Amino acid sequence: MKSPSDVALSALQRTMLHTASLLVPSTDRAEWNSEWFAELWHVRHSYAGIDESISLQGHCDIARFCLGAFADALCMRENSVKSPHRPPHMHGSAAQTLLWLAVILLVCLFITSFLPGVQAENEASRFQISSNALLIAESADDGAKPSIPAGLYIDWKTTRQRFFQELAFYHVTRESVQSGTTRVSWNVARSSNNLFSLLGLPLMHTIDDDAGLPSVILSHDAWMHSFAGNPDIAGRVLKVGHIDARIAGVAPAGAWRLPGSPDLWLLHPDSQIAADLPRRTPGYVIAQLSPRGQAAIEQSGNGISARNLEDLLIDLSATSLSAPVEGPWNLYEFALFLALIALPAVSSVSLGETHLTPHRPSFRETVRRSLFLCGKFFLIAGIGLFGSFDIAYCATFSYSPAAECLQLVSCFAICLIGFRWALADQRQRCPVCLRRVTNPASVGLASRTFLGWNGTEMICMGGHTLLHVPALPTSWFSDQRWLYLDSSWQFLFADSGIY
Amino acid sequence: MAAEAKLSHTAAMILQAISAGYVYGFSIMEVTGLPSGTVYPAMRRLERDELIRSQWERQSIADAEQRPPRKYYKLTAAGRSTLDASRKRYPLLERLMPTEEARSV
Repeated sequence: MKSPSDVALSALQRTMLHTASLLVPSTDRAEWNSEWFAELWHVRHSYAGIDESISLQGHCDIARFCLGAFADALCMRENSVKSPHRPPHMHGSAAQTLLWLAVILLVCLFITSFLPGVQAENEASRFQISSNALLIAESADDGAKPSIPAGLYIDWKTTRQRFFQELAFYHVTRESVQSGTTRVSWNVARSSNNLFSLLGLPLMHTIDDDAGLPSVILSHDAWMHSFAGNPDIAGRVLKVGHIDARIAGVAPAGAWRLPGSPDLWLLHPDSQIAADLPRRTPGYVIAQLSPRGQAAIEQSGNGISARNLEDLLIDLSATSLSAPVEGPWNLYEFALFLALIALPAVSSVSLGETHLTPHRPSFRETVRRSLFLCGKFFLIAGIGLFGSFDIAYCATFSYSPAAECLQLVSCFAICLIGFRWALADQRQRCPVCLRRVTNPASVGLASRTFLGWNGTEMICMGGHTLLHVPALPTSWFSDQRWLYLDSSWQFLFADSGIY
Repeated sequence: MAAEAKLSHTAAMILQAISAGYVYGFSIMEVTGLPSGTVYPAMRRLERDELIRSQWERQSIADAEQRPPRKYYKLTAAGRSTLDASRKRYPLLERLMPTEEARSV
């Protein structure tokens, strides 16, 4: 009579076999099940006592037997996927390493192709703000807050300027915007007509037909999120607050690097600004330097004195807007250069070419080895490029200096760690077949370093070489050394028949 | 599979056990002392390389003994010559398992 624990453990053992069978290819599963369940019956029978009960130790042994089914199932799976003519010793080979790196590179490239932030950074580097454009602000606020009253801007526009050849103004408020039946609340910048032309930013998807309505420019984000990037958006009429306005274009992604983060710009002539906005409404003023102003700024720095609405002399600051965006490729080149410069600081660039025997690798072997190292470096550099894009822009949909910084740091780290690994890996590659040496064995005693060498000995599974790596570099054994094995060693190495 | 293929000691032990008459997976485990996770995968590879071949026991025999039919393994000609080569390589192989007892099974 079986006890309840016997029944439960028996069910557990059968479950283990059923679970393992899921690893077996479906075509072989039925036969595999028959064999293992028959064997299980015999194993249980051998452990069963007269009353058919099995001891706890017996159950443990049977469970151990069932665990072996997983190894067998995996073996069946490997046999089914392997070609019968699979090249021997793929494991640890140069081809396998290059294949893995190529797979990682392709995965990174695939992810990059779905990241809009990379495209935005590319565009941001293409659209640079005019080099002589300045943001004028009160010194204390440093341009982050709107500080120039609309009335002062109008005064400046109506008087002759010595140092500025053009001035533009914008003021950001939260307003409701209606497109068809959809109403959203956006940051609306009421701007002078000349804002984009002064900044030197070209617009996308523009239309010239004005139809007598004020023009609005959409930000790239608003265009993508609210209009699904519709390229025929120009000409559509929006209701901004109580004003009907016509979409005249879309600002390029990442190009706007001024304060305020507007979702759209409502463009007005200066007379309209003067009429709509109270004189003390603070806003941002962009100025374009005249050649004379350029010279004055170079001489006296960024301080400007002007009269305010009360006709008092005040100090203003002028901040240049032309800080360049490096763009992803320039950053990548810089990070790659830094990683190559830093590499000797974190790893020896020697490949341990000391040999114990007079045998030297042939020219063909040397070229093959060099090409393999170059291939690894090339693939790692590619992984650095696309991997850093993925890290920097996985959570950012548009250009930002923080993402640029993250891209630079991650690209540097990936390249440096990758190159270091490539060199370390190369040192443990058999010069003959480029397979990694394996089976490390400790040789000698540390306490007898000065009597005989001690360190690690590794062997090439193709039977070509032995690698001796000293545990403690000495004057007579400082670098790792290769020992080339002659044909008398071959009997130790099974080739394709190795189990 | 080349007749002179070199086997690991484990694979050679399994071939020797089959040659000695231990023709089921569990009996090979018992006589070699190897775990199931080693014996069965090794037999798969030996069968793949045509050193052994498997055959199901007839259902009538199993029914008569009131047990499930078992799969048993036999050496092929290539397996026998490989085993001969392995015995030269591992001279103690033949002494590892009781062939007399196996014959009586």
